[in-house]
Amino acid sequence: MDSLNISRHISGQFNEDLERVINLVMQMGGLVEKQLNEALLSVSQADEELAKKVLSNDYQVNNLEVVIDDECTRVIAKRQPAAGDLRLVMAIIKTIADLERIGDEATKIAEVTLQSLSSQHKELLLNLDNLGRRVLECLQLTLDAFTRMDVEAAINIHKMDEKIDREYEAIMRQLMTYMMEDPRSIPQVMTVIWSARALERIGDRCQNVCEYIIYFVKGKVVRHTTKEDMETL
Amino acid sequence: MMKNSNKEQKNMNKWFSSGSPWIWLSAGGVSISLISVLGLLWLIASKGLSYFWPAEIHEFKSIDQHGKHTTVIGEIYDREFIPASQLAHTSIVLDPTQETVERLLVKTGNRELVSLDFRWILVPQIQSTSTPEELAVIERRTNGNFYGYIDSVVLDGKEVEKSKLPELLTRVDNFQEEIDQLQTTDIGAINYQLERLRLKERKYKLDNQLTEARKQELASKTQALKDEYTTLESELMALRDEVARDHIVVRAMDGQKVTINFEHILNITYNNKLGLFEKVGTFLSQIGGFLIDDPREANTEGGVFPAIFGTVLMVLLMTVIVSPFGVVAAIYLHEYAGKNALTKLLRIAVINLAGVPSIVYGVFGLGFFVYMVGGSLDQLFYPETLPSPTFGTPGVMWSAITLAILTLPVVIVSTEEGLARIPSAMRHGSLALGATKAETLWRIILPIASPAIMTGIILAIARAAGEVAPLMLVGVVKMAPNLPLDGNFPFLHLDRKFMHLGFHIYDVGFQSPNVEAARPLVYATALLLVMIIISLNMTAVSIRNRLREKYRMLEH
Amino acid sequence: MISVTPTALADSANKIDLSNLSPEQVALSIDNLNLYYGEKQALQNISMAIPKGQVTAFIGPSGCGKSTLLRCINRMNDLVDICKITGEINLHGENIYGKHVDVAELRRKVGMVFQRPNPFPKSIYENVVYGLRIKGENNRRVLDEAVEKSLKSAALWNEVKDRLHESALGLSGGQQQRLVIARAIAIQPEVLLLDEPTSALDPISTLTIEELINDLKEQFTVVIVTHNMQQAARVSDQTAFMYMGDLIEYADTNTLFTTPAKKKTEDYITGRYG
Repeated sequence: MDSLNISRHISGQFNEDLERVINLVMQMGGLVEKQLNEALLSVSQADEELAKKVLSNDYQVNNLEVVIDDECTRVIAKRQPAAGDLRLVMAIIKTIADLERIGDEATKIAEVTLQSLSSQHKELLLNLDNLGRRVLECLQLTLDAFTRMDVEAAINIHKMDEKIDREYEAIMRQLMTYMMEDPRSIPQVMTVIWSARALERIGDRCQNVCEYIIYFVKGKVVRHTTKEDMETL
Repeated sequence: MMKNSNKEQKNMNKWFSSGSPWIWLSAGGVSISLISVLGLLWLIASKGLSYFWPAEIHEFKSIDQHGKHTTVIGEIYDREFIPASQLAHTSIVLDPTQETVERLLVKTGNRELVSLDFRWILVPQIQSTSTPEELAVIERRTNGNFYGYIDSVVLDGKEVEKSKLPELLTRVDNFQEEIDQLQTTDIGAINYQLERLRLKERKYKLDNQLTEARKQELASKTQALKDEYTTLESELMALRDEVARDHIVVRAMDGQKVTINFEHILNITYNNKLGLFEKVGTFLSQIGGFLIDDPREANTEGGVFPAIFGTVLMVLLMTVIVSPFGVVAAIYLHEYAGKNALTKLLRIAVINLAGVPSIVYGVFGLGFFVYMVGGSLDQLFYPETLPSPTFGTPGVMWSAITLAILTLPVVIVSTEEGLARIPSAMRHGSLALGATKAETLWRIILPIASPAIMTGIILAIARAAGEVAPLMLVGVVKMAPNLPLDGNFPFLHLDRKFMHLGFHIYDVGFQSPNVEAARPLVYATALLLVMIIISLNMTAVSIRNRLREKYRMLEH
Repeated sequence: MISVTPTALADSANKIDLSNLSPEQVALSIDNLNLYYGEKQALQNISMAIPKGQVTAFIGPSGCGKSTLLRCINRMNDLVDICKITGEINLHGENIYGKHVDVAELRRKVGMVFQRPNPFPKSIYENVVYGLRIKGENNRRVLDEAVEKSLKSAALWNEVKDRLHESALGLSGGQQQRLVIARAIAIQPEVLLLDEPTSALDPISTLTIEELINDLKEQFTVVIVTHNMQQAARVSDQTAFMYMGDLIEYADTNTLFTTPAKKKTEDYITGRYG
């Protein structure tokens, strides 16, 4: 928490407000991580019960987003944060939006489990396993970087996304081949494509969160910039 | 028992900490001051104003220890009880059971007949008292009042009816007015001009410029004035004769008949005949006379107009002198003088100056202003009048200046106080607009400080108007022949001596030949002095309040 | 390679490069200014250029020297006996602490408005024309015009036009402060110094004054000292943060309030222990 440098405000009330918001974000991050983990588990183990649990738990993520949004609005109205504090609040507001979307993507993946796939097609899902683990790791690292507001880590995670993209492309190619070989399998393969797509999106969202971390710490906007620009940080 | 006293103690403590004892104490203090101020005013007002109230004239018939009958006519002035033992050694026979004897002080007037116009009468000796309506009080120009019965009125040698009396009095009054006019204004002016011509001649002589032509010119002017004087004088004589034409015969208390010429008579009243309204009328006209008449009879009779005039004029002059000096000094001390030890010393000196006894200022004024400054002025500008001094003698200007010095510290201190109270924002605001320090002072600071300056002036006036001691040395006289302000050029004669109410009180009360007679006059004059000071103050206070309203600072 | 870095809209409007101002852009330049109150040094080596036609704000904790610096600009510190100054403040390339400078003349060019409204106890009209009268202007028509123009510039005309000859002390605090601003701009200064002009006013009056400051910069260079950071953020184009007599950071307001370069600045504007 001290890496965020928020406990030194003259106003203790302000400290508490910010701490509460950050704790809520951590909580939300943990929840989203759990959702994704369970969604992936449900897919790999074909556990429909687990998938249903993931679907029914998504409201918690949504609720948390609304609560944190509220808290941030309140902090802005009451404290008029400036400089670092302002950037922190802005970063949080954006981060939770992305976290919420990650939660949504997790439900999409869980939905795949519930679709009745033939055993042949279930094999396809195994391809996702690898990508899923990588994305889950990326999310974990991102949340960890967020907790520590670690720019180095953020930059590294940002770079990691490339690997995810490449893996996604590989899966896509494989699935394309499937579809070309057996056009009857297209509906089932599409389902798998959706979940692969969802995992890829999660990677992008993690990238966004990393950009917010960099914005918060460095005060520089690194969105939509070239890699070279980010390297110069 | 123990509990009870504890409780009482607690209550007592509570009462003390509630602050009510202090409220009671301060309220008590205020009441005492208020009572003493009101008491003072009531005392001098009642004693002073009763002087103007037409008193009843009593006729006492008494018999003394030798069996001699006497009649005393007069006003009861005072009554007192004296111990009987005090009279024991005299042959007065008294009731031995009585421990005290009442006696009356009676103003009998008729100064030419009796050596004392006041006498004590022992009440036990009085056989009868009456207030006959026919008793007249005759106010005279000289010798004070006369009490008696008017026997006859003689018009140009022929006895006429008494009812003609008012008519004759009016006639005489008119003549007297003309005489006064002639004497003071016309003849006074001629005398003044004659004196100036004489001085002019002397001046020419001193400057060696007295040419023949000038001599003749002066001589002819002098001659013209002298001719005019002669005409006026004969007119005056004629008027005097007119006035002296008639007389009345009055029977005094001892039966003696006295002839009183109209030229001496100011007024005749039958006090015992007067109804309430007439009494009030007489009362008011007496007060009016007191205010506008000149004093008579060594100040013990008549009015105090010259004293009022002198007091007010001197105070105004003093104000005109002290205000600019005090303000300028305060501005220098507060705005320009460096904040160093010398300034502190100066300030202490100024404050201490306020504590110097006023008589010391009188001595200083006499020694420095009158003799040194005045003497030098005379030598420089008025050599023609020497050896009789012009400014080298006490006068109204020196009095005003001396009192100005006396009151200077008050003005300086309160002006400085006012300057210090002005928020620095005002100065800074003006300076930030490109004004110099002097412009700021003149346009902003002084107007805002004006209420404080007025406060200083009010205090100065209050102090100066009541000051008598130094004036006795530098300009006040018992009886001034002329007012310092008259119709002769240059109208305001700063070199003249003047009369002052404060000194008048002292003079009448303690220096007059007849202290007893003058006592009410002392109170009346004191009341007047207080009134004048109050009205001067009120004027200044109202000016100050107007200024204050104008420059009222918002709650900063 | 074309940079695709996005540029904030606010920056592009009147962004100027503070570190590289052309001489025409500079209203005032302060060079190595040191100020001592007796033995105590209150300002240390201040150097900065205040751009023309912009609002420059000085912020910092109490006693940091921001008001002192402001008062140096029109030499109000001359009123303090023990105050000694080294260094230069240049107005039109001329050092205002030079030998032959007429202080009154300088103060006409550099007007000042103080913390508390300090209208003179005169009529509204006389307050506004005070500076002109001092200058020797007594032509009724000129004065009338100046009053109308200044009061309009100070956004006060509509409120007081029917009572110009009533006492200025009858105005509300906010009106008084605007009157004082009108009084200052009536003599057409080049620079207007505002020393915490709203610290004695209610929030609504404060907003009016802030709005006014925004209008004023079209005609004058405005330098404002304020305790209220949000106010500095709202009204100023440049902000200088001072601390213990030092100029810590001087940057354009947008940068200073979002991404200050110095930790001290950050701590101050985010309300942290220094």
